[in-house]
Amino acid sequence: MVKTKDSFDYSPFEKVNGDHPLKKAVPNAFIEYGARKRHGGRVAFFNFALAREMGLLPSNHPDSLTVDLEKKILETFSLVIINEYDLMNNVHFPKEDILPNKYMATRYLQLQHPNKNGKTSGDGRSIWNGFLTHEGVTWDISSCGTGATCLSPATNIHKKFYQTGDPTVSYGCGYSEIDEGLSSLFFSEVLWRNNIETERVLGIIEFAKGISINIRAHRNLLRPSHFFRFLKLSDREGLKQITDYYIHRQKQNGDWKNIPSKKEYEFFLERVTESFAKTVAQFENEYIFCWLDWDGDNILMDGGIIDYGSVRQFGLFHHEYRYDDVERFSTTILEQKNKARCIIQSFAQATDYLQTGIKRKMNDFKTHPILKQFDEHFTYYKNKGLLYKIGFNLSEQEYLLKNCGKDIEEYKKSFTYFERAKSSQGKIEVPDGITCNAIYCMRDILRELPQLYLAKNRPLNVGEFIQVIRSSYATKNDLTLSSSRDRKIALFQFEYFYLLEKVSKFFKKSSRDIILNVMTRSSIINKYDRITGDSIINITRKVMKFRPKLKCDELYDLMRQFAGFQNFCPEKEKIITIKNSRQKKYIGGMLKIVREHREGL
Amino acid sequence: MKLVLYSGGFPRENLLLDRALFKMVKNKSPLFSFIPSQSYESELDFVAYVKRYQRFGVGRFLHFPIDIPTDEALLDEVFRSDVIHLGGGNTFYFLKHLRKQGILSKLRTFVKNGGILTGLSAGAIMMTPSITTASFPTFDCDDNDENLKNLKALNLVSFEFFPHYKHTSRYIEEMKRYSLKIAVPLYACPDGSGIVVNEERVQFVGKVYSFERGNLYKTFL
Repeated sequence: MVKTKDSFDYSPFEKVNGDHPLKKAVPNAFIEYGARKRHGGRVAFFNFALAREMGLLPSNHPDSLTVDLEKKILETFSLVIINEYDLMNNVHFPKEDILPNKYMATRYLQLQHPNKNGKTSGDGRSIWNGFLTHEGVTWDISSCGTGATCLSPATNIHKKFYQTGDPTVSYGCGYSEIDEGLSSLFFSEVLWRNNIETERVLGIIEFAKGISINIRAHRNLLRPSHFFRFLKLSDREGLKQITDYYIHRQKQNGDWKNIPSKKEYEFFLERVTESFAKTVAQFENEYIFCWLDWDGDNILMDGGIIDYGSVRQFGLFHHEYRYDDVERFSTTILEQKNKARCIIQSFAQATDYLQTGIKRKMNDFKTHPILKQFDEHFTYYKNKGLLYKIGFNLSEQEYLLKNCGKDIEEYKKSFTYFERAKSSQGKIEVPDGITCNAIYCMRDILRELPQLYLAKNRPLNVGEFIQVIRSSYATKNDLTLSSSRDRKIALFQFEYFYLLEKVSKFFKKSSRDIILNVMTRSSIINKYDRITGDSIINITRKVMKFRPKLKCDELYDLMRQFAGFQNFCPEKEKIITIKNSRQKKYIGGMLKIVREHREGL
Repeated sequence: MKLVLYSGGFPRENLLLDRALFKMVKNKSPLFSFIPSQSYESELDFVAYVKRYQRFGVGRFLHFPIDIPTDEALLDEVFRSDVIHLGGGNTFYFLKHLRKQGILSKLRTFVKNGGILTGLSAGAIMMTPSITTASFPTFDCDDNDENLKNLKALNLVSFEFFPHYKHTSRYIEEMKRYSLKIAVPLYACPDGSGIVVNEERVQFVGKVYSFERGNLYKTFL
């Protein structure tokens, strides 16, 4: 840990004290808990860049954990709630440990709860630490692992309150573990750098036996399930309060502008619709598996990812993968769109309820015009993502989206044929679910096709095409010759180069220049190595092994380096600044894992 | 045999070497292939390579990392290129994978058949008899994490090459000491300088320092 002569102003931490505008704005959205200091923790990780962006740290603060900073982080975030069990059993805590303010555990709908109306569900092991406003942006901060609340499934299934840390229950004991924090950290930082909305890990406080408090931050931590709870309970007042609160925050943060004053709820519905359509299109394009369901849990209001427990990113389009959650199987990546559509249907119901005061049946909204808008937005973002993956720049994408809709659809058909082709092996079991292996790697063909075309001055023949696109999952059977597939190979290349030709004509550039531009961008966008859920699991294990030797600053640096390697932005610059041989060894080990699992789940 | 050995530096510092390269390129629409020393982040080096030679009118490029499974389709095309460029990086790692994938002999054949081979830093060292120059001086050397024992390289030239050379007393001492151990000259090149081999002719571009049997000779005025 660094002892510096410079003293920094850490007073913004004091503003994060349990106070939050939601408390006043939506009184029925949470349960309040008293809290006490939790001793014995140390800061395992702190996200210096995020903290500077949030205004928690001054802009000139170095990426190092000073003695004073660690003290401040622990004072602010190392806490545990005084829960119902403690109160009922008169558990005594030293007076000096009891914190002056109360903290919210928010209520929201969760379908795995026995009560599906949201009466008893919500933050089961989290509290909201508070908020912070900096440079016009308000951030929400919450922590996971701060004690057992009465909103956990365990409490409601077993009809009893649990002591925090009770070893007889896992999730219900109110603790979280450091590996959960680390996997969320690596996953979210990579996705965030690749323009996927997500919660981010602000810090991890570590205790004995792998227990931790994982601190998260986002510009707005509300989920659709916070809204749907009021809808289910037919609590129009609560629904109005939370919707007004959300609109206000979006406006305040500058995320929503020019909101028509008399049509705020329509605007709200339209914006949420666009966010969810964009998100699920992005999930499909980037092979992100995020278990969406009608309850609107596991996702933020802006489509951002929250709770990385079951989130995965596939290396190939393993579109039949289902996560096995003991009692039920999850949705597949392709079913995400319909679940997101359901969420929008619920929002249509909610806004109608707000506007008319009458709660109509969900079925009445099956043909609501907003769903058509959702489909349109979805198609737009899906197509935009496909063009981006080819390597087109923004103005080329916009030209094609505006003028060449049919051509894009034709290309999409050919692309989808290969993307969704699956192994003749059929369904197989994997450690946490079931899947059917995809057999082609679209990233590989998109990366190499423009290079090979320029080199050969002709499209690829069947053999060449298959050599490039085949994945390690493809068996001999999967690759046996078929005339229909051969036609598809020709068609795919025809549609691909047709789009390039359109751009070349419109922008009056030679085909070669367009292909060259696409080729360079595509080589980064479709990089050979890409993280998958499997690689994150193994990287977390690896980092856990390094951890005894890894200090907070080093872990931060490791995260930054690793996420930098996994940044696929074609405009990015090289940032490799590996400092020493130990760091080189760690990074090398992590990248090797990414490579080994690049086609996995 | 047509070779260009670059030490390093910015593209503008290497203009003379690039010009010498293009004098050897006969094809009007040449194909340039880039073999990075390692695939991690090599996409960015590839993009920089493309941008650099696009300015000279080159419009056909291949990126061919050799530490990942290689496509036959790409491999065939690479060895039909007009120019193959070996990138900079860790020389030991690079040699290990070139050898493992059987690329060394293919490169020798490529050069023998008239292909132009260029290399930067580690890539340039690779053309010489051995990559020993990557292992010293201790204050400026590559880590041999691969624990490579056999340091024999392409052996296309009868000299050794030291890139990123700085003409200071500590470098001079190290170069002199090493030159006593070898039977061929050691050419040390600061960034921006390099060597062009066109058939039997060896041309020094920029400031190239020659070390032979413990003595230093300047190849420039």
